[in-house]
Amino acid sequence: MPHLRVTDLEKSFGAARALDRAALDLRGGEVHALMGENGAGKSTLIRILAGLEQADAGRVTLDDVPLRLGSPDAARAAGFRFLHQELHVIPALGVAENMHLSHPYPLRFGLVDWPALRAAAAKALGRLGAGHIDPSAPMGELGAGDQMLVRIAATLLPEPATRATTPAPWAYVFDEPTASLTGDEAARLFAAIARLKADGAGILYVSHRMDEVMALADRITVLRDGAHVATRNRAVTSRDEIIHDMTGRAMADLFPPHVRHADEPVLTVRDLSAPGLSGVGFDLARGEILGLAGLSGAGRGAVLRALIGDLPRRGHLNLDGTDLADTPAGAWAQGVAYVPRERRSQGVMLARALGETIALPHLARLSTRFGLLRHRAQAALVRHLAHEVRLKASGPAQPVAELSGGNQQKVLFARALAGQPRVLLLDEPTRGVDVGAKFDIYALIRRMAESGTGVIVASSDLVELIGLCTRVAVMDRGRIAAILPTEGLTEAALLTACYGKEG
Amino acid sequence: MAAFVKRYGSLFGMLAIVVVFWIALPDTFMTARNLLNISQQVAMLTVVAVTMTLVMVTGDFDLSVGSMASLAAVVAAVLFTRDWPLGAALAVALAAGVAGGIANGFLVAVLGILPFVATLATLTMFSGAAFVFSGGKTIFGRDIPQALSDFARAGLPLGTAGDKPLLLPALTLVALGMTALVWLLLEQTTYGRRLYAIGGNAEAARMAGVRVRLLRLSAFAVTGFGASLAGLMYMARVASANPVQGDGLMLSAIAAVFLGMTVTRDGQPHVLATVAGVLTLGVLDNGLTQLQVDSYVRQVLVGAIILAAVSSSAIGRKALRLR
Repeated sequence: MPHLRVTDLEKSFGAARALDRAALDLRGGEVHALMGENGAGKSTLIRILAGLEQADAGRVTLDDVPLRLGSPDAARAAGFRFLHQELHVIPALGVAENMHLSHPYPLRFGLVDWPALRAAAAKALGRLGAGHIDPSAPMGELGAGDQMLVRIAATLLPEPATRATTPAPWAYVFDEPTASLTGDEAARLFAAIARLKADGAGILYVSHRMDEVMALADRITVLRDGAHVATRNRAVTSRDEIIHDMTGRAMADLFPPHVRHADEPVLTVRDLSAPGLSGVGFDLARGEILGLAGLSGAGRGAVLRALIGDLPRRGHLNLDGTDLADTPAGAWAQGVAYVPRERRSQGVMLARALGETIALPHLARLSTRFGLLRHRAQAALVRHLAHEVRLKASGPAQPVAELSGGNQQKVLFARALAGQPRVLLLDEPTRGVDVGAKFDIYALIRRMAESGTGVIVASSDLVELIGLCTRVAVMDRGRIAAILPTEGLTEAALLTACYGKEG
Repeated sequence: MAAFVKRYGSLFGMLAIVVVFWIALPDTFMTARNLLNISQQVAMLTVVAVTMTLVMVTGDFDLSVGSMASLAAVVAAVLFTRDWPLGAALAVALAAGVAGGIANGFLVAVLGILPFVATLATLTMFSGAAFVFSGGKTIFGRDIPQALSDFARAGLPLGTAGDKPLLLPALTLVALGMTALVWLLLEQTTYGRRLYAIGGNAEAARMAGVRVRLLRLSAFAVTGFGASLAGLMYMARVASANPVQGDGLMLSAIAAVFLGMTVTRDGQPHVLATVAGVLTLGVLDNGLTQLQVDSYVRQVLVGAIILAAVSSSAIGRKALRLR
């Protein structure tokens, strides 16, 4: 079995030290999880393996032979393959052609041999257990999960004779692969990973999702501040130990204790119907944190989008005695704040100053009667909020794109906090966020609730819902199946409720 | 060094152009009279380009401004031939521009047609309408009110050079006024900041409570107003109106905004940067004409300079570092 060993890897960007004696050890036939908070050095380590960055110092060996990395071609020649969460596919071309982007097409009389092309694709897909994918279907019609399977299958295509000296790919690096997958898609991906592993491939699996890592990994390496903390055997370690490795903090500290809230409702929802929702009703009390649980597609996010006015809707929605506006502009003006799930596409302005993203919903308050912007008031607000959420950034003018995922999320929280909203809507508030930033975000949500804001959290993280909320509404096919108090609720019981009648 | 070139390269390029003409034309280029002359030559382009900046900030653009300028001039001129009072005819022409802009905005922001396709179609329609209204003829001479030509020749006295008075041309003043107005709108009002947010991420802006459709539409309306105003200025300057006289404005205006984007820090359109782009084009035109460079060669040179500026800066490649 191939054996990749990385020791004493160092890398600095200017004054910032990204890797400080990082180490990693990957064998064929194992799934090896790489964990750590954002900024721990995972991405830098992967970028060095991929040949996108040069290490300042350190040793990389493959089967005890020193390996010269430094270019994507070298990484490819070493048998490494990289699968990122954002895949590069050509939607208009078929599956088989997408698989052959870096392979020559089979030819017949100098023309493309279409049956052979499809047969090669079908064979590779079959090896991965992805026989349900039609090689001639347009790539764009596939879900994100199937697209990822296609990308993996492409690495299983036989290397052409001209590259006969190239070793077969054996090391697969997955970087947050399930970030945009549904539960079923993730299950298929895990099955494919199991097949790769059974064929002798080594899998380096980078993820923030503790459940996946604990289910999938054979060994777990944790980095903190660029240094190797520990490599542990999954069978003999625990979540608590891993979280402690990552943060130096125990998991119990993640969730501050529950607080009691008033009974007086700030938001009442009756007979709410929208695309994907029907007959949803609940009360949200001032200072309450209400969770929305359910399987993917059950309508968690749709409830929030209907409330903020992004979905056309019917029903009686009452905010503090007035009807809730049915456009995002109106809802923000009434004191409803929203942190969307798709941070990059629906939340931030990546290329623009972070201060602009924060100030955007509040511009009306930051201007004179004639619409002139009060620059100083804006700067003061941004500074105050950035401090409030413990944002790590060089200043209000820094482009959002330069921040880590956790800090991008804090930018969205900062703006949701401004002006003490009456209702705060959070869709997957800690998705793609590292444990340290999670802790900050949970503390913030609690603080908002304590100051009287009603909070609704939609999340696929059951531990998060139980730890954070006072009640959890379980969604099932667009309806609320049950509203459960979280006191004494176990993860297993909540999961059972989510599966409900389907299970 | 490479970063420095990217950041300031085109700014130095613009200055270099001025220096080259200054040396090549020692007696005629760097004179107050010539500079004021350039300012008048580019006045129309300035108005179109600064209002075009507004739509380009939101990530759209408008191909129809040139034909809208022609159409507005033709509309006013036809009304003059029917003895409409000056003010009323101008008002109708400007209103036509705003209406055309709203039509563009409706197609793009409400119906969701790509700006390239939508404004290419309206370009053709406005152009056709200008031919229909004018019967394909140039309207000139006594049909164009004397007051308009007088206005285009008037100006603010600045002093004298030799024995002739130096005037800051009225058309230049109009261009300065529009520039100040758009600058105020974009940089100092919440309206402008919302437009920049839409350009940054329209979907995120909508989720944050920005009325994206309305604002995108309104930006097109302002651009339509700017185009028709430029058309009327042109008519005043040449004392005639024909259905194609504004057509050249479109490409130059877009080029000016792009040139401007090469000098900004964030690679986004900004009004003052657009004005720098306009001045660069104006200086090139003026200088090359004085050097008696053939007008076709001039076109090739101007195109090459735009390419050089864009490729030396980052905007052509969207080289944004993402994690």
